Amino acid sequence: MSDNHAESIVALLNVSKGFMRDKLEIPVLTNTTLHIPKGDFVAVMGPSGSGKSTLLNLCAGLDRPTTGKVIVNGQDLGELSEARLSKWRSENLGFIFQMYNLMPVLSAQENVELPLMLTPLSRAERRKHAEASLRIVGLSDRADHYPRQLSGGQEQRVAIARALANDPVLLLADEPTGNLDATSAQEVLDLLESLNEQFGVTIIMVTHDPKAARRAKRLLHLEKGSFVQADIEALETSLRGVAR
Amino acid sequence: MKYLPLILRNVTRNKIRSIFTGSSIAVSLFLVVMLYSFLSVQDANNEASKVHNRIIAMNVQGLTGDVPIAYVDRIRKIEGVRYAVPYSWYGGMYKDDKITFGQFGTDANSIMNVLEEYKLAPEQLAAWKADKTGCVVGSILARNKGWKLGDKVPLKGDIYPVNLEFTVRGIYEGSSSTDREMLWFHFSYLDDSLKEINAPTAGNAGIVMLNAESADIMPDLMKKIDSTFASSDAPVRAMTEKQFQQSFMEMMGNVRGFIRYTSIAVVVALLCVAANTMAMALRERTREIALFKAIGFPQSTILGLFLSEAVAIGLLGGVFGALGAKLLFEVVDFSKWVPGLGWLYVPWSTALAGVALATAIGLVSGIYPAWRAANVSVVEGLRKIV
Ligand SMILES: Nc1ncnc2c1ncn2[C@@H]1O[C@H](COP(=O)(O)OP(=O)(O)OP(=O)(O)O)[C@@H](O)[C@H]1O
Ligand SMILES: [Mg+2]
Repeated sequence: MSDNHAESIVALLNVSKGFMRDKLEIPVLTNTTLHIPKGDFVAVMGPSGSGKSTLLNLCAGLDRPTTGKVIVNGQDLGELSEARLSKWRSENLGFIFQMYNLMPVLSAQENVELPLMLTPLSRAERRKHAEASLRIVGLSDRADHYPRQLSGGQEQRVAIARALANDPVLLLADEPTGNLDATSAQEVLDLLESLNEQFGVTIIMVTHDPKAARRAKRLLHLEKGSFVQADIEALETSLRGVAR
Repeated sequence: MKYLPLILRNVTRNKIRSIFTGSSIAVSLFLVVMLYSFLSVQDANNEASKVHNRIIAMNVQGLTGDVPIAYVDRIRKIEGVRYAVPYSWYGGMYKDDKITFGQFGTDANSIMNVLEEYKLAPEQLAAWKADKTGCVVGSILARNKGWKLGDKVPLKGDIYPVNLEFTVRGIYEGSSSTDREMLWFHFSYLDDSLKEINAPTAGNAGIVMLNAESADIMPDLMKKIDSTFASSDAPVRAMTEKQFQQSFMEMMGNVRGFIRYTSIAVVVALLCVAANTMAMALRERTREIALFKAIGFPQSTILGLFLSEAVAIGLLGGVFGALGAKLLFEVVDFSKWVPGLGWLYVPWSTALAGVALATAIGLVSGIYPAWRAANVSVVEGLRKIV
């Protein structure tokens, strides 16, 4: 981990975040500092309610920290208005969710084109980009299918293609395999791994599944408001222990 | 406009709901457009008849009073009067008809000069003049009743204690703004029948209809007519044809106000229906909207997408309802079932105003839901499990 945040794609500097409930502030992140270098593939684990999704929201500028700074790809998100943040997200980020969140009225191809609607690309160019994205996730033959005609694993791969369409520097994935069976989960993880290795996309992936976490380069454990650098080797051993 | 396919698919995604909302708008618009056509066509026809400089003289007591037939000749002698005719509403019943139609006892020698916009072939006019029991009927009436020249038309007196049987001697024509559902007969035929039974109403015309030489002299002419009979047993009041039509409308109550308030109520009801549809769409799609915003769609685009969807539903309803009304009136002749509606049609201006109204209803109903959609919190929206 580098201390120079200029090299980091994501830098959280003394970030605290809490939510008000019944006039009481519930702290979620407390004075956290975190650097994620370009090209990293980080798995974030932690108990339910520990603030994993909150972390992703902060990195995406969907939510603002109570105190501290969030700097992504050299941009201090606190300096941007809501409108500029929208535009910034469309140019820099890709999202993958547990629930896929595809538009049911749009075909796979059209779902992938969605983020490209915000670019000046022509119809034909949008189509070409979307086709390329679908090829990467291996679903070229399903371009005209609607979400209801796809399996869960295929839906998630379309969602990944959508996240890739705008060439993001950072991919944020919140439990991307949480709804999938083992085989589909493997396919999705293979895909994320190759995106990271071949295309150098930085990935932050929240997961509850140790098998998924093992595919990442690094594991962060979130507990009681701060991160603990966890050891994948230790995780592996404990997993093997469980298997035995 | 690259979002048009998305908007249309959102409109059709919940087909049942869109169809119900669209049909509510369509059916209501159909009615509103019809009612307004009734007003606007009547106005247009009244306006169009102004060029004929016609004046109606009736008893000061109104339509219930009579005008002695001798007044017709006296009016003819007043300076500035071109032609004058008696015009007596007979109101007889034909066969099993439930509703009567316009039957008027008049003067065959002058009626075509007073109602100069109506066309009757000269040989038919001559045949009518030559037959004391002859009559002339409008082309729509003739078609609806299946009457041809030479057919007998027996009418049972309802207001008058005499039955009359006519022979069709002519069929008159006119432009679309004219009333082609009337029957004209010789006033003398009715009057002689009344004299035969010594009816006290004999010798009286309903009203006298005349035309003036020019529009400028009409106010003076009306005053002159009023003063001519002011001190007689049956004083009369002269008014322009347009005033006469309006007083006729007023007899049916405040029809205009009624139509206007009904339409406003309909529009308000439609606003609620359409707004509810959009509110339901908003509730169902909170997650999707959150996703759109997460991906980077600006508020303005989300606002626009929602508004466009509401406008599209309104527009579709309007097109079906308003243009449907127009089309229906072109294709179907309602005078067959409702006598006296032969003149009614839906003008383009009224139909298009209907479409515009429906579109505006869509737009207004969409404003609040669209504003709510644009302000969905991404964080909350994505957490929501639908
Ligand atoms: N918008 C919000 N309003 C109030 N409290 C919130 C809000 N978002 C999150 N929280 C609270 O913050 C804490 C962290 O939530 P978060 O969703 O980040 O947890 P998580 O680690 O993603 O959990 P899970 O594994 O169940 O998804 C929880 O206690 C949650 O109740
Ligand atoms: Mg979570």
